[in-house]
Amino acid sequence: MGLTLSNILSRIFGKKQMQILMVGLDSAGKTTILYKLKLGEIVTTVPTIGFNVETVEYKNICFTVWDVGGQDKIRLLWRHYFQNTQGLIFVVDSSDHERTEEAKKELHNMLQEEELRDVVLLILANKQDLPNVMSAGELTEKLHLNELRNRKWFIQATCAKQGNGLYEGLDWLSNELAK
Amino acid sequence: MLLVGIEDKKSIVRCTDVKMQYNTVGRERKGSVTSVANVSSWFFSLRRVGKKSKSPQKFIASSRSDWDLSTLTKTTPTKWALKDELCEVVSEMESLDSGEEGKNSNKAKMMSIGRKKFNMDPKKGIEYLIEKDLIQNTSESVAQFLYKGEGLNKTAIGDYLGEKNEFNEKVLQAFVDLHDFTDLILVQALRQFLWSFRLPGEAQKIDRMMECFAKRYCDCQGENNIFENSDTCYVLSFAIIMLNTSLHNPSVKEKPSIEQFITMNRGINMGQDLPRELLVGLYESIKAEPFKIPEDDGNDLMHTFFNPDKEGWLWKQGGRYKSWKRRWFILNDNCLYYFEYTTDKEPRGIIPLENISVRECTDRQKQHCFELYASGGADFIKACKTDSEGKVVEGKHTVYRMSASSEEEKIDWMERLSRSISHNPFYDMLASRKRKAQHNAKN
Repeated sequence: MGLTLSNILSRIFGKKQMQILMVGLDSAGKTTILYKLKLGEIVTTVPTIGFNVETVEYKNICFTVWDVGGQDKIRLLWRHYFQNTQGLIFVVDSSDHERTEEAKKELHNMLQEEELRDVVLLILANKQDLPNVMSAGELTEKLHLNELRNRKWFIQATCAKQGNGLYEGLDWLSNELAK
Repeated sequence: MLLVGIEDKKSIVRCTDVKMQYNTVGRERKGSVTSVANVSSWFFSLRRVGKKSKSPQKFIASSRSDWDLSTLTKTTPTKWALKDELCEVVSEMESLDSGEEGKNSNKAKMMSIGRKKFNMDPKKGIEYLIEKDLIQNTSESVAQFLYKGEGLNKTAIGDYLGEKNEFNEKVLQAFVDLHDFTDLILVQALRQFLWSFRLPGEAQKIDRMMECFAKRYCDCQGENNIFENSDTCYVLSFAIIMLNTSLHNPSVKEKPSIEQFITMNRGINMGQDLPRELLVGLYESIKAEPFKIPEDDGNDLMHTFFNPDKEGWLWKQGGRYKSWKRRWFILNDNCLYYFEYTTDKEPRGIIPLENISVRECTDRQKQHCFELYASGGADFIKACKTDSEGKVVEGKHTVYRMSASSEEEKIDWMERLSRSISHNPFYDMLASRKRKAQHNAKN
């Protein structure tokens, strides 16, 4: 029931802007998530050559979500963007048992970044509609999420194709960022 | 006499066709561009016929009901003859179509099926083409097919090349190797490369593509290579794509400054910085001209503008808002086209040079001005343009005011324009009828 101060302020002063980075291995479902969130909105903009970037408005917060990634060599470049980032979405393919180790490394590698020290972390356990998938609990273990110190994190099971779980994830993000 | 009558009616139908096509410009971009370009030829046929007939006004008034096929069943002998004639023409056209198809060999047909399959699902398309022995099952052969790109959708090419899979990655390598970047500065080479397919938006795919590109670019430069190693070139190319995204994607609210771009690229040259001038040059280039979305094969207008009557920069005043914008103008085939950039493949606007005139004028803001204006009493100049949302809409200009860079340029443009302008009595007639109707409505 209680409204926090920033909540009141944001209601008075309008939309809050947030930059979110989305990472994850190849074909974890990042692009599908990005465009599923945009669904239903009228897209009038002329397409641009470059990275997938979308703004999503949800609960009075304007999320700008960047698809980032690539090899370590280009992480140098992203650092510049990390400074203005409030949230990190890590997408993992819950059906890909073989690559959970690789995903774990990628995630922990990313969290090592000094500039990402204060960002909140949302893990999306995607592709829950496929057979023989790992649950959010299993992935918590496999990704060593309990080892994370001084980090606000949350894991949400999703099926991006149908859109299940995505807004629950955004709910958590917006609540955290409104604090 | 009968023959003339038929011709008259055909031309009337054509002319309503043109109007219909013109009205759909807002919905379909490609179709509209050609239809406007065709306007002149349509009306040429009308004019030729118009001379033969006694009173053009008369047949316009009566044509509509006459042409309705249902009314043809009323048994007047001339109308029966007309119907027969029509059927003959239709069957003739059909036989022409099937004849052309017959000429096509089986192989060409399969090739066309393969291309269509590829455009819908790249992987299945390639599998089909390999299965039918139209391309070989090697990365080189597939790369050749994609590089040639005939009839292929550039987004589908990009999807195929971006796939993380051993064979696709080999194809990507072979595809990049087919490009020749000799003597091109980095940003030119990138523009050329990014025209050959539609770059996917996934960071990992862009990463792989830029790595391949950078290796090839460095190889092509030989001894003139400014990069100490291809990794530097790869990181910089990646940074350029980021810059293009930041500067031109409307979702990115905070546009980076040149200093931010330089800071971002600190230490990418094996721990060292790249020359400031190089980065400034890149930033300016991308800021001034974003990477173009590549046009799919077979529907660009490039061939139209291969040998124009005249081309050059002019300042053009807006129709509704009287601001001045610099545009690249091309005069060709009795049409005036204007573009935002010289390299644009599709014009921002098209002005058919019919029933308009050109005159000198003076303007408080600009020198060397001239304008195109509607002659014969029409309210607007018949034209179309692309609006801010990318839709093609009818132009709203009563005059097109232009400013040239010099007096000589102005005179040259005016001369060439007036030589290209054609006059068609049909428009004047239409305008006068419209005025009359408006006048009658008022009274």
